[in-house]
Amino acid sequence: MSETALLQVEKLEVVYHRNITAVQGISLSVHAGQIVAILGSNGAGKSTTLRAISGFLGVDDARVTDGSVTFNGRRIENRPPNEITRLGIVLVPERDKVFPNLTVAENLAAPFAPWARKRGASEEFVYHSFPKLADLRNRAAGLLSGGERQMLAIASALVCRPQLLLVDELSLGLAPAIVADLTARLVQIRNELGLTIVIVEQNAAVALGVADYGYVLENGRCVLDGDSARLRAHGDIQEFYLGQSAGSERRSYRAVKQYRRSRRWYG
Amino acid sequence: MQLIVNIVVLASIYALIACGYVLIYRVSRVLNLAHGELMMLGGYLLVMTASMFSGNPLAAIAAAVVLSLVVGVLVYVLLMRKMAGEMVLAAVLTTVALGVLLRGLMLLIWSAQQQYPAEALALSNPALILPGGGRISTFAAAIVFANAFAYGALFLFLQFGRWGVRMRAAGQNPLFAAQRGINLHAVYALAWGLSTLTGSIAGMLIALDSGLTSSMSVIGLKAFPVALVGGLDSLLGALLGAGIVAAAEILSIQYIDPLLSDVVPFLVLIVALVVRPWGLFGTREELDRV
Amino acid sequence: MSRNTPRASGYFRTSYAQDFALIQTRFERTALAVFVIALAVFPFLATVFYLDLACQVFLAAVGALSLMLLTGYAGQISLGHAGLIAAGAFTVGILFREFAAPFWLTLPVAAAVGAILGLIFGLPSLRLRGLYLAISTLALYFIVVYVGGEYESTRGFSTGIMVDPPKIGAFALKNARAWYFVLLAAAAATLLICANLLRSRTGRAWRAIRAHEIVAEALGIGVAGYKLSAFVISSAMASVAGALFAYYRGFVSVEAFSLFLSIQYIAMIIIGGMGSLLGALLGALFVTLFPYLIEAVLMKLPNAQSYAGALFAVDYASFGLVMILFLVLEPLGLVGIWRRLQNYFVLWPFKYRPVAGGRK
Repeated sequence: MSETALLQVEKLEVVYHRNITAVQGISLSVHAGQIVAILGSNGAGKSTTLRAISGFLGVDDARVTDGSVTFNGRRIENRPPNEITRLGIVLVPERDKVFPNLTVAENLAAPFAPWARKRGASEEFVYHSFPKLADLRNRAAGLLSGGERQMLAIASALVCRPQLLLVDELSLGLAPAIVADLTARLVQIRNELGLTIVIVEQNAAVALGVADYGYVLENGRCVLDGDSARLRAHGDIQEFYLGQSAGSERRSYRAVKQYRRSRRWYG
Repeated sequence: MQLIVNIVVLASIYALIACGYVLIYRVSRVLNLAHGELMMLGGYLLVMTASMFSGNPLAAIAAAVVLSLVVGVLVYVLLMRKMAGEMVLAAVLTTVALGVLLRGLMLLIWSAQQQYPAEALALSNPALILPGGGRISTFAAAIVFANAFAYGALFLFLQFGRWGVRMRAAGQNPLFAAQRGINLHAVYALAWGLSTLTGSIAGMLIALDSGLTSSMSVIGLKAFPVALVGGLDSLLGALLGAGIVAAAEILSIQYIDPLLSDVVPFLVLIVALVVRPWGLFGTREELDRV
Repeated sequence: MSRNTPRASGYFRTSYAQDFALIQTRFERTALAVFVIALAVFPFLATVFYLDLACQVFLAAVGALSLMLLTGYAGQISLGHAGLIAAGAFTVGILFREFAAPFWLTLPVAAAVGAILGLIFGLPSLRLRGLYLAISTLALYFIVVYVGGEYESTRGFSTGIMVDPPKIGAFALKNARAWYFVLLAAAAATLLICANLLRSRTGRAWRAIRAHEIVAEALGIGVAGYKLSAFVISSAMASVAGALFAYYRGFVSVEAFSLFLSIQYIAMIIIGGMGSLLGALLGALFVTLFPYLIEAVLMKLPNAQSYAGALFAVDYASFGLVMILFLVLEPLGLVGIWRRLQNYFVLWPFKYRPVAGGRK
């Protein structure tokens, strides 16, 4: 794909509380229509990157101190969340993803939709993609099960008619069958709408199953990237993220440290 | 019978003022302790428009109502917006300071003299005789109806209006609401506007009924326990709380000691804080928020 | 014990006693000596008007220090401070009128009354936090004021209770200069008590409770006990301030203890700067002198006489405005401004203090 990226992150640096650098120089690019996965273990900086893109940073006293985030040619780092939503990037957060005391229908009515006339069409599309939500229209969102809540979270994001959908930890706390169902629907929605999706996942199997391209983060840096087939076949990914050991020997801790150092320097 | 009439009138006054506290608290978790002064400002705005539209009471009232809405929005845009991300306590103290400022300004502009906008508008306030033998003044009856209308309108708006749903959403989870494209500043400004509007209407009607003194803001402060007893984020609670506090006040004036009138709401407040701090219908988690 | 003042390098402490000491450097010692001399000489140079101002500042300082302990250090927000001051004043008034009690009896009793009232004011803090606690203190303030008003009207003192100045034998305390030194001693004693409390285990417990109550409880700090102790100590001090106020003015009336007085005390600790004893003093100074400042400015304007009637309103309005300005623009208060100045001079040519171990 040689056209310019829809979303371009260049050497991003994010600092918490003025002295903890969570993300040190990450670069990634997302092209229109792609599903891109960001992988990594805890504390790697995945959610922070997503928050930097979506404007959610202010809550945790964090700031983008270096680098840039460019969307459709426009710089968007350090802008407030509702501005970024109106530009076309919508985040499905990890926690606090619905309005608990509003009904499902009200959860879908509250968000801002860029073209008011087409709001009805958006809601129809959402009920069509997630038929279960149509049955639960008048139930309070706080009473939904985990899977239904996640569906509602994605649905309320879709009502905003995003160009880019960011999904933070889709599989957290959900049964594998539900996760598989949700990811299948995501792919279907991408195909129908031409949406671009970035998913952040600790569960690499889920992510690589649905993504076209992937970035692997460790300790705030990007150590590996490639299309998902290549990543799935990569020995280190298989060992550390997919839990399939390459050989029969267990690697010692020293060997792992060696590996990580070599990756960082010669990556 | 007269006792019941008095309770209903006082409850309507308290409820109309209390819904202002509830609106702002529900939407932005800020306690607007300047509400009493804003309510008084409504009365003074009516005095001002009465002298501008001296022949036309309807125009004067309409102008004052519109002005009070504008004042509420301006207070948010010019002042409270700057405290929007700060600690709630700092925002509350800012409203306290705002109340002091408004009080001083009102004293400066209109002096401490008692004003009678009803006379200025050539409106009379005859006492109506109710079935059962009770008497109620015209404007007191107007307060009862205005209160019912305001609550009905607010209930419908919050439940079914698009911006009403947005206000409820912003109250529950402001950051997530911002992420769904809801403009928080617009929602908060709307809340402040509506709150000042209802408070000002109460102030105007009280001024028309019994005159406007510079100590009217005390009524605003007495209405605050009403909001708390009902639950700071519940309109229904404010309505019921108004009934309870008004009944307690009128009955203790009648049967115990007339001087108690100013302190009864706060006694009820203490009892409520001891027994059920989050109020009749408030959400329980409110308790731990600082 | 963390002190915020930046120091030039080369300052080392080699024992705990040194670390704990209130006055630590030679510069501080000399500065203190100069200040004490200035305070001692002042009454002999100043007119009665300025002496009265100074006395008012000292009285306000005692009240502000007590509120700073409660709200600035222990984190328990109290909007009803005027009620505690009123309680002390009324104790003196009632004891004097009913029993002709001498001052060496009324002052301790006032402190005790304050302590008991503080216990009552503090009980809600065991269940409530933040805004709800502030509201409960407000409600209790109204009740205290109501009781005082009731006493006044039922005992026929509708214009207020007159109190004679304190007497030892034949010597009555009426001289302005004498009052200056008495109140200066009271303020200094309060400051010392506060500083020592904050250096002790109690002070550390209070700071922990303010920072994070649940963690403090988890660390074994008896949160309930320390919260109540904060209320009790602070209220006892405020009561004594009220008692002194009653003797100084010779007059006790419920109108003097309006809600505005509570707001003024809150303003003192905010404008001064939360979490700092110096802030309490600066705030007390600022808020006490503010109306006089406004009056002086107003009198300088042309056509001064016509403004005289509006003085109270201008006072009120400008006070609200200044409070708003501090809350919006300088939340760290006068102390914040002072520290920024200090930082600029001490750290020059560097601009920023090191992050580690520094509070804002």
